[in-house]
Amino acid sequence: MQKTIQLILVAVFLCASIKISAQDNINLQSIIIDSTLTKDANAVVRSEEVLIEINSINSVRVKTKRIVTVLNKFGKGYADSFEWYSPSTKIKKLQATIYDGFGKEVKKYKKKDFSDRSVYDGISLMNDDRMKYFEYTPVDYPYTLVFESEVEKSSSAFIQSWKPVIGYRLSVEESSYKILNPTKIPLRSKETNFGGYAIGVNKLDSEISYSIKGVKAELPEVNSPSFYEIFPKAMLALENFALEGVEGSATDWKSFGKWRYDNLLVGRDQLPEETIQKINKLVSNVNTKEEKVKLIYEYVQNKTRYISIQLGIGGWVPFPASDVDRLGYGDCKALTNYTKALLSTQGIQSYYTVVYGDRNKEDIDFDFASMQGNHIILNVPNEEEDIWLECTNQTLPFNFIGDFTDNRNVLVLKPEGGEIKRTKKYGPEENILHTTATVNLTADKAMNATIRRKSKGLVYNWKYGIQFKTPKDQQLHYKEHWGYINNLEINSIKHGDDKDAIKFTEDLEVSCSSYTKKAGSRLLVAPNLFSCDQSNLPKYENRQTPLVISRGYINTDEYVINIPKEYAIGNLPEKKSIETEFGSYTYELEKINESQIKFKRFLKIIDGTFPKEKYEEYRKFRSEIKKIDKSKIVLKQQ
Amino acid sequence: MKILNKVILVITLILTTNTFAQDYKFGKVSKEELLEKSYPLDSAANAVVLYENKKVYYEYNPTVRWFLLITEVHRRVKLYNKNGFDYASDDFLLYKNTKAEEKVSDLKGITYNIDGDKIIKTKLKKEGIFENEFSENYDQIKFTMPDLKDNSVIEYKYKITSPFVYNIDRLVLQDQIPIKKLEVKVELPEYFNFKKFTTGYLPIDLKETPSDGSFMYTPNRAKFFDVESRSYGSTKPKEKTRAVDYKINVNTILSTDIPAFKKEPYSGNTSNYISSLVYELQFTKFGNSVENYATSWEEIIRKIYSNANFGGELDKTNYYKDDVQKLIGGVSDPVKKASLIYNFVKSKMSWNGKHSAVSRAGVRKAYKEGTGNAAEINLMLTSMLKYAGIKANPVLVTSNSKVVSLFPTLDGFDYVISRVKLPNQGAVYLDATDKYGEPNVLPTRVIQGVARVIEENGKTQNINLRPRNPSLNRNSIQYEMDVDGMVKGKSNIYHLDYLAHSFRERYGIYDQGSHIKRIKEKYKITELSNYEIKGTSELGKPVNERFEFMLDDQVEVIDNEMFFSPLLFLSHKENIFKSDDRKYPVDFGHGFSNMYMVNIKIPEGYEIIELPESGGFKLPDDMGSFSFNSKLVNGMIQISVTETINSPIILPSYYPVIKEYYNQIIQKESDQVVLKKI
Repeated sequence: MQKTIQLILVAVFLCASIKISAQDNINLQSIIIDSTLTKDANAVVRSEEVLIEINSINSVRVKTKRIVTVLNKFGKGYADSFEWYSPSTKIKKLQATIYDGFGKEVKKYKKKDFSDRSVYDGISLMNDDRMKYFEYTPVDYPYTLVFESEVEKSSSAFIQSWKPVIGYRLSVEESSYKILNPTKIPLRSKETNFGGYAIGVNKLDSEISYSIKGVKAELPEVNSPSFYEIFPKAMLALENFALEGVEGSATDWKSFGKWRYDNLLVGRDQLPEETIQKINKLVSNVNTKEEKVKLIYEYVQNKTRYISIQLGIGGWVPFPASDVDRLGYGDCKALTNYTKALLSTQGIQSYYTVVYGDRNKEDIDFDFASMQGNHIILNVPNEEEDIWLECTNQTLPFNFIGDFTDNRNVLVLKPEGGEIKRTKKYGPEENILHTTATVNLTADKAMNATIRRKSKGLVYNWKYGIQFKTPKDQQLHYKEHWGYINNLEINSIKHGDDKDAIKFTEDLEVSCSSYTKKAGSRLLVAPNLFSCDQSNLPKYENRQTPLVISRGYINTDEYVINIPKEYAIGNLPEKKSIETEFGSYTYELEKINESQIKFKRFLKIIDGTFPKEKYEEYRKFRSEIKKIDKSKIVLKQQ
Repeated sequence: MKILNKVILVITLILTTNTFAQDYKFGKVSKEELLEKSYPLDSAANAVVLYENKKVYYEYNPTVRWFLLITEVHRRVKLYNKNGFDYASDDFLLYKNTKAEEKVSDLKGITYNIDGDKIIKTKLKKEGIFENEFSENYDQIKFTMPDLKDNSVIEYKYKITSPFVYNIDRLVLQDQIPIKKLEVKVELPEYFNFKKFTTGYLPIDLKETPSDGSFMYTPNRAKFFDVESRSYGSTKPKEKTRAVDYKINVNTILSTDIPAFKKEPYSGNTSNYISSLVYELQFTKFGNSVENYATSWEEIIRKIYSNANFGGELDKTNYYKDDVQKLIGGVSDPVKKASLIYNFVKSKMSWNGKHSAVSRAGVRKAYKEGTGNAAEINLMLTSMLKYAGIKANPVLVTSNSKVVSLFPTLDGFDYVISRVKLPNQGAVYLDATDKYGEPNVLPTRVIQGVARVIEENGKTQNINLRPRNPSLNRNSIQYEMDVDGMVKGKSNIYHLDYLAHSFRERYGIYDQGSHIKRIKEKYKITELSNYEIKGTSELGKPVNERFEFMLDDQVEVIDNEMFFSPLLFLSHKENIFKSDDRKYPVDFGHGFSNMYMVNIKIPEGYEIIELPESGGFKLPDDMGSFSFNSKLVNGMIQISVTETINSPIILPSYYPVIKEYYNQIIQKESDQVVLKKI
């Protein structure tokens, strides 16, 4: 659906170059690696040297040499090196050599031995990036790869960041990074998460360098911060730079935004007179700004679709609005620019906004201006609360950006310059799933139920796509969702999508031939039929990272359960409540009369970041919920 | 053999005849098509192919004095709503090698919309067409249609001209969306003789009619290529341009309302089930000059043994001679020799992941580098075994990623393994590409395919590589519980045969921490201790896992009673089959049997008042069975359960049966034990 624009940012796979000297050979023997580095590791970066020479803003040379020892097949990905190239990036040197565990050369790939293919980012219909890569079938483990490359770039707007650790289960013996800046073009840098690591930093006007030693392999943990909120990273940017031939200069977001606005955006908003007339007519009967924006947004949704085409500077500059008007498609840049142009025909000011689009939130760095982001949305200032528009999606409701771009720092491009704003946060009280049901149980163990589920906020976002699936897939969806109910039949499905209220309703009729369990004269019933917590949080001996609950929500359930007349309701368990700082939970059963039970459940999860010590408490909270959720009651035959 | 028949049964072609209806000319989209709001046969379809026409024919090219293979595609697609817009972009590949390449021409597209009473046409222009070098051997053309709206109709056509006249690409006759009307026409000049077969579960109307063709033939003055004899002849200055008449065999398919294809779980090789038409070259005949490409298995075998990349590779011994002599020097027992060689190749060679029935880089180079494709590795193995005086033959395999051919053809195979015959033993099949392989334990890609052994004397036969017996998984758990329902116990699991193989393939190199994580996730156990694993690298032996567990959420304590299902985390909880129906077979790869032995010690002061009853059932045709036995031994509860699937392939007619089988298992395994305080 929504896509990336800057391919180069997608996979900054550090690659390498510099001559092998005699002392390197020690690195090639993988059988003698320090055991602190092999523990939990699938691969070890033995050494990495990145040397970036800034000759001018139109010529940047990146030399990389990396030596990686692969310990087992899961670590192979860390050695499968490649280089990307494009009309503005040329590969000058490329070589890979494989050594066995004893340091004996096994195979050598020269530049001509590399395979060449176009890059599939999985999204674009077309882009002009290509890659050179090699395919090596490991004969034995461990083995060591020495990869060397030299790349010449005519764009200096992106200076490769220093990311010495690129994944879990990867240790780093040594890694260094140096920028040579002989012409002393002002160079800014920002370092994050350097604390706790053996990192050397050296900063001069004409040179910046970093080095790190002895980073142990880490294992991923659930509900933890994103990778580069944990691991060290240095971002760098030149104050004067060029992007695909377009020159610029910037020191902060204001000036960077100004450059981007003036050079990569402005003047691409002309529309045919006929379209302007159409829009005039479209909004002629509404008065408020919000109503006008809504009509225009829906017009764009109806008229266009998302097609990604990234060629040269086209990776950064939107297609003209008139092209989108004619073709009916475009990428995030083009569709956002088009919407912006349509709004401006009605005198409505809106701003092209750069964002990292991903369900895992990532911020545009609030105080380090550089080429960042992978997606574009539209910001419309409004009196009370800004309107945010996702222009690449044809089915989302108006002013609903969902979890792809919610609650994060974004760069808003205004004619006077850039500005960091925060997108809408959907708080727990907005993300609602409310389930009501009438359940009939019979003496032959069968169950049938009428269910209504209403979703709002992000829950709407997570659910509304079901309506677009085929009937068969919809059935499978519910069968999988309630996989813990054996042999569940979905007898009827009805969906209601209220885009104005942003509310999704699911009306279902389900049944199952053996829901309850018979044990002699008892009938065992789990009254929580449709909201059993399915989380499975692992217990860590020694949790390393803070607990992150990225989004909060509230789930409520209320069922009336009709029990078979042959059975009587015995003692019902007492109401159970749990209160924690992560949220609260109640489970309640109530006897309505001799043949009816009311089941009520409330679960609220609060988003936030908590110290690592809190993880175990959270795990216990969820596991207690799980246990209560699936608990049963006993009905006795009468 | 039985299994092969089952596969073939499903993909056998059904021939009926039909007559052609009206033409769907390019550019003639009707108002009715534009106004249609949904597909009557599947109202949920977001898009439907209104019409698809594929024409494949040969055209004589006077410049090169040779035929070219032409494929014309014309497609008209209705997009009911935005969720169907993915079908407004399409792409295709053009093959190329160092000598020649396929070319595209006449790529045209139109989007149709209706405005009031008027049909609005928007043409596909260059800005919507993209060409891209896909890989060394393929160029790719992509295009996307302009000006889409709900209920748009799009239409496009293109023509591919190929110099590779012996290869007609598989014609796929089914899509992810329904096809309303499909016309396929394949015209085969008498010079090119193909056999054809179809795949899939849908009936296909294929009609054959004769026709005539003619081309103007001009001999080359300098050095002419004679089409009739397909050879260069001497100059015949007197010969003039003349017309050559020839016969054409025309195959046509007319089909309507073809349902969308959907992938189901446990499908094995779905390419056998999607509807398609496959052509395989049998022979070419120019005048009296006949060249056979495939006629009989004997012919294929003769050809393959004379092929340098197959038979030729078997004959080479120089490159390994010294190593193998060293390896088996002094060993006379053929079983020992075979085992030494098999293990030698397995450890020396790493499979590069490529399927192939013939060598590419050559066995010599593969041996030197230690990597190779399936043919290189297993031809090398076969050759070494023969060299050591063991009766060994290559086995050609159609793996589970290739369509099974119904006719003798070399192109139908994409994999090679080796068969060994040892004294006083049956045949043993070996695949040295598989590090975890054992004699007669082959990778899924092989057992889910079909195979044919070939011998030098031309003898050949189909063989079934599926294991005869189900593979075993033996689980035993012992546990006790306290009065609060806290369970403490030990588990001991053995994975045997194919189940050991797949375990090693997936988890063979896991470290202790990863194994523990895996078990905790699989069984949803929070407290696990003393995990031990044995046998992951001792091929031929079972893999054994042991661990201890504590569970606080398995026993329900209500008033004075305790309730639990005795298999705890081992019981099946979810049916693997959720679809209501199924159009093609379930393929488990191999049969299997899960056995559970459970010993339960109940807490002091409690008595057993309910115990799940013993029982069981069988599937028809000996496809499988289930048994559940419960008894009391010295106050301990003993449960033994066996779930067996004997038949690796379950035909779609039995799908409801297999679904119900799992259903019953889940129900039985969730039956409760009830304890009561005395």
